Amino acid sequence: MAESFDRKRLAPLKDTVAIVGVGETDYAADYRGAGGRAVGKGEARYDSYTLASRALKRALDDAGLKKDEIDGLCTGPTLSGERASELWGLNPRWSGSGDAAQCIIEATMAINCGLCTTVALVYGNAQRSMDTAYGGARVTGGGITSYFYYAPWGMTSQGALYALFFQRHKLLYGTTDEQLGAIAVAFRKHACLNPNAVMQKPLTIEDYMKAPYVAEPLRLFDYCLINDGGVAIIVRRADMAKGLKQPPVMVSGIGWSEENVDATQLRPRLKDFYHTAHRGVAAQVYPMAGVTPKDVDVFATYDSFSVHLLASLEGFGFCKEGEGGPFVQNGRIEIGGQIPCNTSGGMLSESYMQSWNHQPELVRQLRGGLGARQVQGAEVAQYVHDVAGKCKSIIYTKGAE
Amino acid sequence: MATARPIRSMDPYAEQFWAYTQKNEFRLQQCTDCSKFRWPPGPTCDQCLSDAFEWAAIAGQGKVLSWTTFRRGYFQEYPAPHTVIVLELDEGPLFVSYPVDVELADLREGMVLALRWTDGEDRFGAYNLPVFGRSPA
Repeated sequence: MAESFDRKRLAPLKDTVAIVGVGETDYAADYRGAGGRAVGKGEARYDSYTLASRALKRALDDAGLKKDEIDGLCTGPTLSGERASELWGLNPRWSGSGDAAQCIIEATMAINCGLCTTVALVYGNAQRSMDTAYGGARVTGGGITSYFYYAPWGMTSQGALYALFFQRHKLLYGTTDEQLGAIAVAFRKHACLNPNAVMQKPLTIEDYMKAPYVAEPLRLFDYCLINDGGVAIIVRRADMAKGLKQPPVMVSGIGWSEENVDATQLRPRLKDFYHTAHRGVAAQVYPMAGVTPKDVDVFATYDSFSVHLLASLEGFGFCKEGEGGPFVQNGRIEIGGQIPCNTSGGMLSESYMQSWNHQPELVRQLRGGLGARQVQGAEVAQYVHDVAGKCKSIIYTKGAE
Repeated sequence: MATARPIRSMDPYAEQFWAYTQKNEFRLQQCTDCSKFRWPPGPTCDQCLSDAFEWAAIAGQGKVLSWTTFRRGYFQEYPAPHTVIVLELDEGPLFVSYPVDVELADLREGMVLALRWTDGEDRFGAYNLPVFGRSPA
């Protein structure tokens, strides 16, 4: 099939918008609770709007902007755009919703169309307080999704879908559990350098292997956290992004490609590891940003499960297909290694903000000054949203101050 | 009383699929215009967008692609451990099911398994559940 996107129209969008502010809630403190005890699931303390509001205030303070300078709003999937606007006293000239990468791409489009100049992207999720279930009998939803369709056979949970994925990877390429374990161990190392990460206890490969299976071959530490939190990101037209409180971080590349045909059959997952979508996104995001995987200094991928990293490193060409297992070992994905991945600790060890927490971390890495967690000389950062074939990517670069 | 199982996802097309199982018939929709088999049941052929189809009987054989063993219980009807497999049916579609009369340690990539039936019931009523075991031959 011929290339269906227009490189000539995409290229000029490079560096036309910037991230000027980021804000997050206190993941670790909120998880521990006031008395130092971990908050139990279903022990409601917050709602999603409380967390989103806090993050928004912090992002505006970080940028040095007032809320009345916001003229566009994107909300994450747990928030209603109308209620969020009302709560924050906003009458946006444009609004959108979706995952973090989707919102960044849509905000880039809206700003470039001239509909607005300064968009707040806001997410909040009180999933621990509300005891949200991602598997089992309490999972409900509209229409077909690939796991509750198979409930009569006992099949359920996002984790089991990734277990099937990893089992297939093992069968085809001989990938080992110890190789997969290197991912959880690396992310935990990063979390231990991040005071806002929920998980602060070091994790060895022995700890990883000793932990119980959930859906075999995945073990406990292959699974993300379930915690409360909020994230906000302020995206602004590039010519209005200078002279603010923080140096701007440029949106230099965007890409989007979905692989939904036969999704309920699990075909794109098990027969392709979503690599068709990865290649589609790579063909847009790298040429637009004018970089290749070799130029990426810091990388983050959606990591509800450790397995996502194997898929995205292989699919975006950081290593060959099937070689993700050996690639993630020997410190290669750790800070100081060849390609530091999920440097905040990611959703496995920092906070499960369904991709939103990865954006502030990449922005901070490009701003610099993170101490022991800093990736030295970071100038190019990439986020890959590899979620059930709905693939997107953003390349951020350090802007001129 | 048939075996209670977690609830099926029901729509007008799924209803027909499950109705055939009451006669131990495993039928998939096959497009009248382009002959493509589809799963899950639905209104349209994804290859040619035709809405003409018949419920065609399938050979009832598939190759194992992957599996997972639940070591944690999610459904009261399925106490841990229990195993789920994904097969590639001879007709093309992939199909999620569970293995019978095959030990976990004996599962192999590409292993050919054949259709078996077991009973099931939920609030939509009684039905038979297609599962997969070693070929009788």
